[in-house]
Amino acid sequence: MAWPTKGRHGEDGGKWKRLHYHTWTVDEGGINSAWSLMYWGVGLCNVPIENLEKRDAAQLGITQQEKDAFLAELKLFRAYHYLKLMDLFGNIPVVTVVGEPARPSTLSRTEVFNFIEKEIKDNIDKAPKLSKAMLGRMSQAGGYAMLVELYLNAQAWTGTARWDDCIAAADKLITNQAGGMNGNMALDPNITDQFKPDNDLSKETIFSVAYEFQRANFQPGFPSDFYHFNQQFIYGGSRNGNDGIVVIPDNFTKYKDADLRKRTWLLEGKMTRFDNGQPLIATGGNEYDGKQLEFVDNIRKNKTGSTVSNMSEGEENSGVRFNKYKLGNQVANATTQPSTVYNNTDWNIYRLTWIYFAKAEALMRKNGGTATAEAVQLINDCKVRAFATADWPANQYTVASLTLDELLVERGREFIFEGFRRDDLIRFGKFATGSWWDHQPTNANRQLYPIPQQQIALNSNLKQNPGY
Amino acid sequence: MKNILLRITGFLCLFLISSPQLFAKSMKETRSFNYYFQQDTTKRDTTKKVPVAKPADSVKVPVNPLGGASPVPSAPPKDGPATAPANAAGQKTITGVVLDEKKIGLPGVGIKIQGKTGGSVTQENGRFSITVTAPTDVLVFSYIGYQSRSVPAGNGAAPLTINLVPSASQKLDEVVVVGYGTLKAKEVTSAIATVDTSQFRQSGSRNPLDLLQGKVAGLQITRTGGSNPNSGVGIQLRGVTSVTGSQSPLIVIDGIPGGNLDLLQQDDIASFSVLKDGSGAAIYGTRANAGVILVTTKKGKAGPARFDYSGYLRKEYLYQRPDFLTVDEFREKIRSGQFDRQDYGASLDPFDDLVNHGNLSQNHNLSMSGGSEKTSYRASINYRDLQGFAKNNRRTEYGIRLNLNSKGLDDKLFTQVNLSTNFNKGDLLGGGGWENQLTRNPTQSYYNPDGSWFFDPNATNEIARLEQETNKRQQQTSSIDAKAEYEIFKGFKASVFGAVQRNSYVDGSYRSVFGEYSLENDIYKNGGYAARSTVLEQNFNVEPTLQYATTFGEDHSLTAIGGYSYRYEVNEGFNAGNLGFLNDQFQENNLNAGNQLAAGKAFLGSFKNDNTLIAFFGRVNYTFKNRYYLQAILRREGSSRFGANNKWANFPAVSAGWTVTEEKFMENVKWVNNLKVRLGYGETGNSGISNYASLVTLGTGGVYLYPDGQYRETYGPNSNPNPDLRWEKKQEINLGLDFTLFSSRLSGSLDLFKRVTKDLLDSYDSPQPPFVRSSIYTNVGSISAKGIELALSYKAVDGKDFKYNIDLAASTTSNKLDSYSNSEYRRDYLSTAPIGGFGDLGNSIRIYEGGKIGDFWGKRFAGFTGDGKWLFFNRNGQPIRNDQINNSFFRDQTDLAVIGNAIPKYYLSLTNSFNYKQFDLRLFLRGKFDYQILNTTALSYGNKVSGTNLLNSAFDKYAQINDTYMYSDYYIENGSFLKIDEVTFGYTFKLKSKNIRNLRAYITGQNLATFTKYTGNDPDFVKDTGLGQPADDGVLGVDGRGPYPSTSSFLLGVTFGF
Repeated sequence: MAWPTKGRHGEDGGKWKRLHYHTWTVDEGGINSAWSLMYWGVGLCNVPIENLEKRDAAQLGITQQEKDAFLAELKLFRAYHYLKLMDLFGNIPVVTVVGEPARPSTLSRTEVFNFIEKEIKDNIDKAPKLSKAMLGRMSQAGGYAMLVELYLNAQAWTGTARWDDCIAAADKLITNQAGGMNGNMALDPNITDQFKPDNDLSKETIFSVAYEFQRANFQPGFPSDFYHFNQQFIYGGSRNGNDGIVVIPDNFTKYKDADLRKRTWLLEGKMTRFDNGQPLIATGGNEYDGKQLEFVDNIRKNKTGSTVSNMSEGEENSGVRFNKYKLGNQVANATTQPSTVYNNTDWNIYRLTWIYFAKAEALMRKNGGTATAEAVQLINDCKVRAFATADWPANQYTVASLTLDELLVERGREFIFEGFRRDDLIRFGKFATGSWWDHQPTNANRQLYPIPQQQIALNSNLKQNPGY
Repeated sequence: MKNILLRITGFLCLFLISSPQLFAKSMKETRSFNYYFQQDTTKRDTTKKVPVAKPADSVKVPVNPLGGASPVPSAPPKDGPATAPANAAGQKTITGVVLDEKKIGLPGVGIKIQGKTGGSVTQENGRFSITVTAPTDVLVFSYIGYQSRSVPAGNGAAPLTINLVPSASQKLDEVVVVGYGTLKAKEVTSAIATVDTSQFRQSGSRNPLDLLQGKVAGLQITRTGGSNPNSGVGIQLRGVTSVTGSQSPLIVIDGIPGGNLDLLQQDDIASFSVLKDGSGAAIYGTRANAGVILVTTKKGKAGPARFDYSGYLRKEYLYQRPDFLTVDEFREKIRSGQFDRQDYGASLDPFDDLVNHGNLSQNHNLSMSGGSEKTSYRASINYRDLQGFAKNNRRTEYGIRLNLNSKGLDDKLFTQVNLSTNFNKGDLLGGGGWENQLTRNPTQSYYNPDGSWFFDPNATNEIARLEQETNKRQQQTSSIDAKAEYEIFKGFKASVFGAVQRNSYVDGSYRSVFGEYSLENDIYKNGGYAARSTVLEQNFNVEPTLQYATTFGEDHSLTAIGGYSYRYEVNEGFNAGNLGFLNDQFQENNLNAGNQLAAGKAFLGSFKNDNTLIAFFGRVNYTFKNRYYLQAILRREGSSRFGANNKWANFPAVSAGWTVTEEKFMENVKWVNNLKVRLGYGETGNSGISNYASLVTLGTGGVYLYPDGQYRETYGPNSNPNPDLRWEKKQEINLGLDFTLFSSRLSGSLDLFKRVTKDLLDSYDSPQPPFVRSSIYTNVGSISAKGIELALSYKAVDGKDFKYNIDLAASTTSNKLDSYSNSEYRRDYLSTAPIGGFGDLGNSIRIYEGGKIGDFWGKRFAGFTGDGKWLFFNRNGQPIRNDQINNSFFRDQTDLAVIGNAIPKYYLSLTNSFNYKQFDLRLFLRGKFDYQILNTTALSYGNKVSGTNLLNSAFDKYAQINDTYMYSDYYIENGSFLKIDEVTFGYTFKLKSKNIRNLRAYITGQNLATFTKYTGNDPDFVKDTGLGQPADDGVLGVDGRGPYPSTSSFLLGVTFGF
């Protein structure tokens, strides 16, 4: 994915280009925002942990077990923030009490890894199991998913592989030992239940941001980044976007035509209106104003016949678009009534399919990079949902066809837009060495983001990451 | 045009830089004026002064500017005695003539011989004769209101011509409002500018501060909203003093600090006093950092009942609009293949469709005043209807102001009551939308083929909006204040002042079922939207004071005032709205009729916040020998807004003045009529921050799902606390010079100041971890300013029938961000002034520590590649492509640089007033010089990458660009301009009627011509105050893409008294 400059839109001070070309600077606003946001989350966990710990359960009107469960949930959730911070920045300070110490020092990535692992292990059994009541909250299931992530990436993050631990943690989820959102945890039978407006009914959700527009006025944030200016007409709702993030060229074709994910999760070609099926005419004074909107699998100025394709040369309709999560329809058409759950779509942070893939990868890596029958079965269990019965035999994996490289490509197809690609490329050793579209290889130090200069200015005990 | 501009700027520059040459030059010019405009004697009251000379006479010789003896006329007056012979040994009769400043003979001038007995007085025509015993005798000429002159008698060989000049003392005895009392002008030791009715602008104020625009050196009043009747003004005195605190001077109306400007009508204002420096403003302590503007309203006077009416009618016409393609040009560009756009067939002038061509504004004020020595009153009623140049853009108001003064108890008790109220109604719907209209495809109708409105989710149909929505405000503002003063014994007075001010408004807005919002909103489609909100702001003041004035010995006088001040301010409000109205019947008058109350998307809010300010203050003024003045001020003040550890602070000030011309050694320096030097130092504060800024406040975090399936609200801290939060403290030193020169023809003042604001209040990043929130509101860093202000008033011609006065106000300020860090918090730069528009270009201004406020920071344009892509210079001066630019935050790596500055280096305004008999003409010029503006209109619409309608320049000047929007010095343009801001031509009728005291009619044209090289919108509307934080009234240095149009207005006014 990338956010290319499209005509007059999207130059945005060059920040998207620096992100795409891995030339970000130490004072990049977006990087500081990520740091600040996640440590804000840490603080919001630290405050109630401190508060709860010093209070008597009876005083609070809850049982000791309930108090322990709350504390465990909060500590797991805090560990989640540290996991994401460690993923992005590697060497970071760990603080568990607000304000102390005043200028915390950097810990090495391995020390942070160990802290997270210990926190999860110490608290996971005390935390509640996943159930519908735990929608949007951290649970034992979330804790195991974190362990899976931690162990899957352990080699990349600490230099020590933890494949067996990864498999063990994954099994807790696969075998339904940590609870489920809707009955037993299981893969959804199709490729849409996870992403529909009422995806709180999905069986494979482990941890999610539980948006609820209808009752709580809390709506998903993704449209602004993913949607076109006229997107509302495509799905019959009201939300549009900034015509921002698009799929970079040649990924669309990585899906076979028989792959249902290709047309279900992505938008390509001429767009029509949801309400009447007529061509969708673009408005708003951009390149295709007054013409039917057509998303293309390239990023260049087709309007002037240019063949130059890079981050600076996009136009309004450049790139295949996101259509994975659905908001539902607000207006009716000939066959569909307005959705009662419009704009309620939850954003999955962990879902069971990802656990299947992680376990399969751990099995393969443990096996010297070659697939095992169990690994193939895990991936096929997921992939089969994307094909019609007739198409499946030709598309299923075998021990021979499921190579690690193929696994990386399949991960790309399955988890597109879900926020795992950077970790995948690092784990597969391609983040700094690979080329894609107009992106050229960069330095290995780019596998970590810099500690924001804004933070170093405030806390001299922070150490900048190597190479910055 | 260019020539005129050059000449005018040349003239102005001359004024500024070269005072000695200037004076000499002006004197030469006035010589000829004097020659041609001699007095007409027939209309003069001959009992007082009689002209002595005819045009051909020698009396036309002007005062020697260097103060030496006047040249002796070459020929004696025809009707005067010839040189007198000596009639006794040693005794000689000296003859001559005494002339006033207009070369008219002065009768009744006393003549003494210094150190001897005997004397004489001048006759009706100013002639005299006196007998002296020796040529060395010194004759002393004295006359009330004029400076005495001593002249050696000489041998009487030729008649003497004595020119007397008015003493400046009359003007110097005028009263100046200084806050908690008044001083005589000669006693003032700080930098205070006073503007009275005669100097007010006459183009019809929308905001009372409009009257002051360009009248006070160092006071910037910027109207980014142009002539929009619902817009305010940006005010700033002597540069930026704060980052997040209040930037505008404290307004004090008749003693009420924080006075509401809505309560002031131009015809009720007597004068403004602007306390510019800290040594004067310290009496207002914590709210005085940005200066203080004291407004005095007109009061009742003893005498028979007087009625005064004044009113005007005003109409506005377009002065200038952005040069976008007209529909014909748009079509032509499509036809010629230069522009790949759809022609939808309609032919619109969308800009013009927002214009209210029928606009006509009016203002009427009728006042009644009168009373006895004991009790006097003044009441005025005002009606004003301001119709904007835009449709649905109007403000209508009614107001009343009442003043009652009484004396009692042997005149020892004085009481005063003021009451003022203003009701206004504003139509807030229109006034915007210009950018949408300018950029829309002019061939696309506002309607669909079926006659329904055409709506596009990416742009508002502004025309439909004006028809389908409402947005109105109904406001009432009132104040009551009362004062009782009692003289306990001579010179000792005790008084109590109390005031209550109350401002409330009700806003209502509605969007039709058939409107664009109804179709495009997310909550309930095809339903109306209605909202209401109310706000109530109140403040209460009590200020008891004690005052003492005394003189001791011959040479000492002392006045002192001490007091206590309590002020409580409370603001509260309520708002509610609903959606899903099925028809337009109820509008916002029955919110319950929408359907979202039950469905949960209706909205409801309320707030209340308050603050208390308590102060003890005192001021002592001491005068020695009528020429040395000393003033000391101390205010100790506490505000509830600051941290527990720093609620109180002291604000001291001391200043001194020395009237040099009262000294012996100046007696013979005749060309200097009055010269005073002032020096002052003062500390003031800034408490203009939000209430509760030092506390942890609780906020809501949105609803959250509970295990029982219900959503409930969450609460949490939404700020870091700071118990050490304290005032921003400004220290300022001011050196001033007041002068009256050349027979009082030239007067003025020059002020030099240097100010530093320390402990800047701002939200600083807090280290995260260990803190929860990313910022803390605290005191770090400092801003400084130094500058020069010059005010000059020159009577170029001062004849009986013809007068020509020139008034000039000029200032220059250098304003810097000295530091933005301390040991705990650190920031290297302040980034501000967002450019806005498509492509998120970020901020245009970045000020590194030590840098100048208003510095544009960006890329340096180096040209275009052959295919029209941008090239910029890197730090080594090599042209490179945009994606190779290093925009590092480190100054030793970055390719970015300071590419301009948004704050005018020089502000200049010039008032030329001509009076000929009953005619008066005033020409007011105003300009800002030596600064830059970011031309965002060209940036966004002079580039064919935009698919909207474009500027014509996109096809010529900017035709080669084939790339996206970029911010660089390419769009930084020289903003300097000079404006013929106001021309007023008036006629005062001479009526025989007993009933009509006076009658004047006038016509005023405003914004008649602007001379500038700037190619964007009116440079005068671009914000030149503040640091660059985005605000309702624009962003420093960044031109608006669709500002309110620049208009010229013509006003017909009349004032009469009966």
